[in-house]
Amino acid sequence: MPNVAEASAYTEPQFAALVDALASDPERGEQLIELLREDHPSYDQRGTATTVRMRGWVLVALARTGVSDAALLFVLEELDTGVSAYLVAAAARALRSYQNPHPSFAPFVMRALTNIRYHDELVSFAEYGEYATSSTGTSAVRELLATLEWLGPLARGVIDELETLRAERGGLAKKLQRELSQASVAIRGDESSDPPPSDTCCSLPNVLRNPFSWALGSRRGCEPIEETRFEDQDGGSITFRECFRGQPTIVVFFYTRCDNPLKCSLTIARLATMQKLLEAKGLADQINTAAITYDPAYDHSERINRYGQKRGVRMDDHHRMLRAPDGLEPIRRHFRLGVNFIESLVNRHRVEVYILDREGGIAASFERIRWDEEQVVERAIEVLNETGPDAAPERASEQPPHRSVRKPVVPVLGMLASLAVAFFPKCPICWAAYMSMFGIAGLNQVPYSPWLQPVLVAVMLINLASVWFRARSTGRMTPFYLVAAGALAIIASKLGIGLESAAMAGVLLTFLGSFLSALNAKRWAVSGGR
Amino acid sequence: MSKKSIVAKKSKKAAGKSPSTAKPKTASRMSPKAAYSIATSSKKTVRERVAAMSLVPMAATESEEKPQAVMNLVRNTAEPLKVRLAALQSLAAASFSAEGFDSWRGDYIATLRAVAEDPELEMRQRALGLLAREQDGFAQKKLLEGLQHPEKALLPPEKALQLISYDVHAEAYAVARDIVEKPPNPDAKREALRLLAADAKAAPLFEKLLRDKDETREVRQISASALQTLKPEKLQEHAREMLLDKSEFDDIQATSLTAITQFGDEESIAKDDKLLKSVDRFSASKAPAKYKQSARRFVSKYSK
Repeated sequence: MPNVAEASAYTEPQFAALVDALASDPERGEQLIELLREDHPSYDQRGTATTVRMRGWVLVALARTGVSDAALLFVLEELDTGVSAYLVAAAARALRSYQNPHPSFAPFVMRALTNIRYHDELVSFAEYGEYATSSTGTSAVRELLATLEWLGPLARGVIDELETLRAERGGLAKKLQRELSQASVAIRGDESSDPPPSDTCCSLPNVLRNPFSWALGSRRGCEPIEETRFEDQDGGSITFRECFRGQPTIVVFFYTRCDNPLKCSLTIARLATMQKLLEAKGLADQINTAAITYDPAYDHSERINRYGQKRGVRMDDHHRMLRAPDGLEPIRRHFRLGVNFIESLVNRHRVEVYILDREGGIAASFERIRWDEEQVVERAIEVLNETGPDAAPERASEQPPHRSVRKPVVPVLGMLASLAVAFFPKCPICWAAYMSMFGIAGLNQVPYSPWLQPVLVAVMLINLASVWFRARSTGRMTPFYLVAAGALAIIASKLGIGLESAAMAGVLLTFLGSFLSALNAKRWAVSGGR
Repeated sequence: MSKKSIVAKKSKKAAGKSPSTAKPKTASRMSPKAAYSIATSSKKTVRERVAAMSLVPMAATESEEKPQAVMNLVRNTAEPLKVRLAALQSLAAASFSAEGFDSWRGDYIATLRAVAEDPELEMRQRALGLLAREQDGFAQKKLLEGLQHPEKALLPPEKALQLISYDVHAEAYAVARDIVEKPPNPDAKREALRLLAADAKAAPLFEKLLRDKDETREVRQISASALQTLKPEKLQEHAREMLLDKSEFDDIQATSLTAITQFGDEESIAKDDKLLKSVDRFSASKAPAKYKQSARRFVSKYSK
């Protein structure tokens, strides 16, 4: 009996027989999903056209057995980013076998319709690997229209888009008018009836409700690849540790020879958008980004540099385009990449984005379904601000103390130093005067230490610098101006030029500035640096 | 005699000739509808039909039936080959330019697949060429089968390799390597090498061929260009040596010059008098003007 574990050695007809066997066996039907993973050994060393035939046949089998929740993501992915008419047609047909049609499917079908209408082909599902050579049979657009009809009123959200396409000159084939009308009638349904409920989020399939994998706090155990070497867009060499430790990083994968405009090219253009979002939030030097090529043998540094430049990618010490000159294998295992190859060339890959924490561990990932730039950036900010013990266990020993711990300590010390400088006694007699305030009994124990004054001045200046740094990062300079004015007043009061009374004003200004500085820093941290 | 009267005489003469010998009406003076009628009419001469076919793309989208009729004509092996080829050409033109042709794209691709196995070699070659440009899986499968099993080949190996190279994702590298190893003819070897120029793992093969002066000039030039794409640093390693070699071919020296210009260490080039003299000599040689221009630019950049 053919089985999935041996599929890598199968010829195409044997693979087709395996798929048919799985589809006809209710106990093994779920194994079909395994055959949809891009990294499945069955696809190793097969050309793209062969991969299309094989995956298409699995989708056709799913259309017979019924698409489960677990298989749904693969079906929607094909509609979202597919450019092969055969695969899109098979995915559209498979979707119709899902038991719970949902309004959220309609945008996927509509997107597929828009993408594929200029590349439509007649397809045949009668036999494995069959290509249509006659004018009979179905096509990707026909299957998509049938799927909209199947969704019926649940697709009302896209009816305007569909009607626009219908009215547009050259929008959809004239000979598809019948199918188009049927879909339109089914979607409109009985227009007097209520539209489908809008609070459908509770019934939303899991794959759409949560586009992230590995929620925060549950780090995926991944193979350490600290010394894996990369070459960046300028030809500079850098290890995984140097590149990904210390700050969170958004990582995307691509290759320059990808001919699906909805995948690599779009991913890199979106990376540029994410970089702009980070810049706008003032986080471009706190959250790094990296784009790693699947095709390091061909994608030289100059080539990836050019590819990034053309798509507006920012490239510097925090934002890099990378290739692994010694091969992709360790990185492929670390990220468990959804990709396969024929020789060194990619035959198929999924869309994948990862967020790495400060340790280089995978904190979150977005796979298959097209991702939203803002969502990824928001999640990266959460990773930047996370403090929980699950987040990065080893961090405490390697990272500087968390900002929230440092914040209150530095201003308090600074204020005390300013006070001490302002009221520092000029001579032992002054000490005696001070002590008289606290009781004559301690006078003989008072040490007069003139060296203490410069130390206190230094601490005061450190406080000033600390307030300046904090003001720069929060963008609020008032606390710094107050503390600076306070420091100047205190120093002036000590110069013996008749401004002794300025000391009190100096202390008050320092108090006020330091207090405001601490308050701003706390608010800034809570807002995630926005 | 005025020019007008000469033209009038000529056209009268032409009108008097039999349909088979009369000069066909110029396509540009025909309406698309009339052109379509002539092109699809078996009563007209082959010459007339072929001439009229050039206007068919404009007529093809006027009605539901017209494109289908032209596709049927392409499929019909009983029709004259010239007419079928002209019909195929007009469909290909329509697929690029005619608004509304997308309605017919599916049928067009299916038609191309059907005639990819036509008894006529020229028809097969045209159809497979058009499909290969679309990166069609059917065409790739047929071409690969033919390269692996020559008895099933629809096209000569050099043509099949050329067409399959349109898609870097086709699984053609292994078969191309076999052909380089045991080429059925020199053209097939050349096309196999061109295809392998996109294979990142083929750099050592190209390095070997480039250094082998017993190989033909064309093979060595393809190797130099491929190496420039795949491993420019490797080409650069050999570039100096080839530029100094007076017996080296012009085009190979020009590619070497490009490699040195793009990837060479500027400081060491500026100090390399021997290299600069050699390039200077090249700029004054009988090489084509564009090569000499590159050489002159190089010399002016690095000469003290």
